[in-house]
Amino acid sequence: MTAQQIVSRIQQKLADLKIAWRAQTVDTFKAGSPDTEVKGIATTGMATFDLLRRAAAAGKNFVITHEPTFYNHTDQTAALEDDPIYRAKQQFIKENSLVIFRFHDHAHALQPDPLVVGSARMLGLTQYASPTEPRIYVVPETTLKAFASDISKRLNGRALRVVGNPDMNVRRIMLGPGYSVPPLTSSFDLSIGGENPESGGNAEYVLDAAALGQQKGVILLGHMMSEDWGMKEAADWLRAFLTDVPIDWIPTGEPFSTPA
Amino acid sequence: MRQRVSRREFVLGTACALVAARTTRALRADLSAQQIVDRIRANVGVPWKASSSDGVKAGAVTTPVTGVATTVMATIDVLRRAAAAGQNFVITQEPVFYALNDEAGNRATDPVYLAKKAFVDEHRLVVFRFADHWSARQPNDAVKALAGALGWSGKELAGADQMYQVPETTLGALIADVRRRLGLRGGLRVVGQPTLTVRTVFVSPGTTTVPMTTAALRRADVIVTGEPREWEAVPYVLDTWAAHAPKGMIHIGRVVSEEPGMQACAKWIKSFTPEVPVEHIASADPYWSPAS
Repeated sequence: MTAQQIVSRIQQKLADLKIAWRAQTVDTFKAGSPDTEVKGIATTGMATFDLLRRAAAAGKNFVITHEPTFYNHTDQTAALEDDPIYRAKQQFIKENSLVIFRFHDHAHALQPDPLVVGSARMLGLTQYASPTEPRIYVVPETTLKAFASDISKRLNGRALRVVGNPDMNVRRIMLGPGYSVPPLTSSFDLSIGGENPESGGNAEYVLDAAALGQQKGVILLGHMMSEDWGMKEAADWLRAFLTDVPIDWIPTGEPFSTPA
Repeated sequence: MRQRVSRREFVLGTACALVAARTTRALRADLSAQQIVDRIRANVGVPWKASSSDGVKAGAVTTPVTGVATTVMATIDVLRRAAAAGQNFVITQEPVFYALNDEAGNRATDPVYLAKKAFVDEHRLVVFRFADHWSARQPNDAVKALAGALGWSGKELAGADQMYQVPETTLGALIADVRRRLGLRGGLRVVGQPTLTVRTVFVSPGTTTVPMTTAALRRADVIVTGEPREWEAVPYVLDTWAAHAPKGMIHIGRVVSEEPGMQACAKWIKSFTPEVPVEHIASADPYWSPAS
């Protein structure tokens, strides 16, 4: 089966689910030939060079990535043609006959969104999902400090960042992986997401709420620590209808360290 | 003039001597927020854009100014400190109302938003956003100020913008030094291994785009920046390691990265606004880390 045939099967599956393939989408082939015979599929959060090395070593020549391969949302490469890092990455892809396809817009279009499901599962929130409010989780009362320590251990993330009084009570949480960190309102205590601009949003809101005596919090997991797990869900989803090719989730992993 | 004198007499007649002193000073100076904005525009050295983030976000521009405060982020705490010090004109680099365009949007009825607006009104503050034009100045004071805070004044590489030649060190040692000098808490994040040798650093407050990153790393070993995007500059730096041409990136957070710049901004505004006090109000790293 070729990479193109696999993508066609994904498109057919989405059509069966009444999800139309978008005319405008970033979900396209990013590198390699779609006619390549696929020996194995790796799903992942982001097709970093290190991830590609691990995929190739594991015999997975078709990489399905949630985030870009070439450092911008639409994977424009014209400005990178002379760049030594870009060239080395392209060379590696060519030498190892890898094919890279992005699965972003249509992954988020699935019901439920596997990126949210995967993130909630890793955070231990699944059982607390509100039956009526999307992305809201109502947890047994805890403190921000205790909750942040718990999820830091679960994710083994090295660079979680928290804003808010560590002793505040946490009960109502809203989750938005990746860049869609939920904007805080008076209707929930804690916003959890991947990454967001530090200004013009939640950090300022938490500080202002605190100045008024209201306790709010935000936890930024980092983009990969919030979305990598969702591509594990995507691998499970693919495996259900692509039974004739090995499919594994290979995590991109935490890009950051936080040395003392 | 006559009307002003009578108002002054009225104020002096009240028990609030502090308010009287400030009002008197403002009347003598007769300097409105709009006049200071006009001076900023005249001195900034770049053409004022027809469309930008910069402008008055709250308060009336005709308000007589008793003092100016510069800040990275005009939080309620910063506004309180400004009001208490008689600095009724606040110049902020980052938004004041939780959105990059400072529009209330879904927060129009939010209690925190409403309380902040009410505080500005009650204390007759004027809040002016000064980001795009401040960052566009050449030479860029925000870069020089951050480099200065890191101890690199005078170490500029000739002919290479934002590039500094530092005494040879390792990424690990540099991180410890940056953390200490900038008082970083949970906002410090690093891409790269601590053993990397560092001689040349690219200093980029705010953020660093992919074109800036790829160009800078042709020469620099490490980039010190505020908050680069994790699907853009971050994976590029990660890929330098897999490509066996390793480079480092130290994230210090947007607020911390812009703080020295807004300190410099206060001095710059003071240089053409001698009539009123101009001070900087400091912010801190907003983040903490569950690991520490």
